[in-house]
Amino acid sequence: MTGLQLTNLSKSYGGHRVIHDASLTVHPGEFVVFVGPSGCGKSTLLRMIAGLEEITSGSLQIGGQVMNDVNPAERGVGMVFQSYALYPHMTVAQNMGFSLRVAGKPPAEIAARVAEVAQTLQLTPLLDRRPAALSGGQRQRVAIGRAILRRPKVFLFDEPLSNLDAELRVTMRIEIARLHRQLGATVVYVTHDQTEAMTLATRIVVLRAGRIEQVGAPLDLYHDPANTFVAGFIGSPRMNLIPAEVLGVSAAGLDLALTGLDARVTVPGRAAVGDRVTLGLRPEDFDPLGAAELTLEVDVVEHLGAESFAYARGGDLTLILSARGVPEVKPGQGCTARFDPARALLFDASGQRLRP
Amino acid sequence: MAKRPQLMAYATLSLISAYCALPFFWAALASFDGNASLFLKWPEDWTTANYTRIFTVENGLTWFMNSLIVVGAATVLTMVLGGLGGYALSRSNAWWKRPFLYTILLIRVVPPPALIVPLYKVLLTANRAVQEVLRAVLPPDMLRPAMRVFGLVDGYLGMILILTALQLPLALWILKTFFDTVSRDYDEAALLDGASLMQRIRLVLLPLALPGLAAAGLFAFISAWGDFLMPLIFISSPELQMLPLGLFRAFLRVNTVDWGFLTALAVLYMVPSVVAFGFARGFLVRTFGGGVKG
Repeated sequence: MTGLQLTNLSKSYGGHRVIHDASLTVHPGEFVVFVGPSGCGKSTLLRMIAGLEEITSGSLQIGGQVMNDVNPAERGVGMVFQSYALYPHMTVAQNMGFSLRVAGKPPAEIAARVAEVAQTLQLTPLLDRRPAALSGGQRQRVAIGRAILRRPKVFLFDEPLSNLDAELRVTMRIEIARLHRQLGATVVYVTHDQTEAMTLATRIVVLRAGRIEQVGAPLDLYHDPANTFVAGFIGSPRMNLIPAEVLGVSAAGLDLALTGLDARVTVPGRAAVGDRVTLGLRPEDFDPLGAAELTLEVDVVEHLGAESFAYARGGDLTLILSARGVPEVKPGQGCTARFDPARALLFDASGQRLRP
Repeated sequence: MAKRPQLMAYATLSLISAYCALPFFWAALASFDGNASLFLKWPEDWTTANYTRIFTVENGLTWFMNSLIVVGAATVLTMVLGGLGGYALSRSNAWWKRPFLYTILLIRVVPPPALIVPLYKVLLTANRAVQEVLRAVLPPDMLRPAMRVFGLVDGYLGMILILTALQLPLALWILKTFFDTVSRDYDEAALLDGASLMQRIRLVLLPLALPGLAAAGLFAFISAWGDFLMPLIFISSPELQMLPLGLFRAFLRVNTVDWGFLTALAVLYMVPSVVAFGFARGFLVRTFGGGVKG
């Protein structure tokens, strides 16, 4: 198995820098997900690994070898495109066997390997069909099959599920996870969907504006975000970020005035009087037994079945609360939301985490 | 009563169609008429003598083959250059791309007669150079036949290059626009699959580009096949005579107009265009789908 090493990788178009000194180690067999809003550079970074975009500076190693100027086909990577990019004039079997065909392998060997991979992906009955005669999920599987057939050391997925409907997305997500376990290959996967990232990744790389914001295991990012961007991006519904000002510092912690909410709470943490900070609270951090208290007015309650979320207003802020933690929420009525101050996260004025 | 407007529409369309088809119908009938006239009439004595005359008495076969060779070669050359150029123009992000595309379109805007004098001057000079080279490498008795093929003035090569140059701008535009619709993902997928440039072109891009190539080729063929001015200016040898000039000279030659012979020649002149259209039509509608999504 093969790992990846990105060292100060940068990319510029003309004078415009789109990737800033990205450094990352992907261990062999790891499933790493690049996640971030659109335009954050995650696809560009993936394409730099694939060799489809030139590397402006820095070094890229795959399996310990510097690959900056190596031909894409010789980097030992297999890529699955967002659009699938199946050759429309070829059958499924021809699509999957294309890499072997251009490598000049004998037809018998190509057929054998295509059959083997088709078996794994349950594509055998579809081998003679053209891509146009396949459903979205089947096309996706063919695209994955085409990548597998090359026996790459590293799999690259560029938003592979974004063209599928919600139900199929869940099925394919499970299938990709199963395939990763089965092949044990190293995977780099790009998505803008944080749910996909949370469910698939062994480690998540959060990107914003061409910079890596944080790298970590899904739950580490969820519980211990490094800044307000990661805190807001990871988790659904998103974390409540409440602007606040430090009024006083005592042994009990920081005495905060929550700007916009017209409330005061005391939370553990370190800052100076007068500092502007941001208080982060997950919807599920609200708890009827909590010591801190906010008075809010409920706007909307969303029932998702297993869980319900209340959108509640206080001043000009709208907070999202898990209804489980706030008894008797009804739209249009006031409510008292309590939380345990120890669960609140604090961020400084620039958005960086303030750890207690 | 709801059918009445539809009926009216069909009647009007039939009338317009008949009006458009009438000259062709007349030409087709007259070409088989032993006693054809300017008026539309059912032939009294059916004959193929007009056609036989083209090939036996006149040099019809030579004219036809000359046209086919020159226009065919120009079409193939236009498709090859247009395909490669159109692909490059579609994929390039160079700053000069737009200015270049509009500049070559300008060539279509300039009326061809305006180009004749400079074009003739350039080709004549180049023709002398070709002649010098051929004279140096070939025995004297081979020079004349070789110049008929490679000559830039009064030679196949010159005619092919001129027609190609005139058709290339439109072909480049058609193919550039066509390749814009072919996802770059195909190129990149093939690149990752380890295909060389030639393999990518041959195995992936060419099959995908067939409808675009067919369109560009069809326009080039029809336009070049109908070109009259360039053969008139650049071809003087009778053995290099092309079909439009044969038709033109047959029209001028005699005191009385032989409608049967002229219409037979005209029908013959039309056939390749119709065939080309029928051939390209199959490719034009054969667009592929389903390879990429989103």
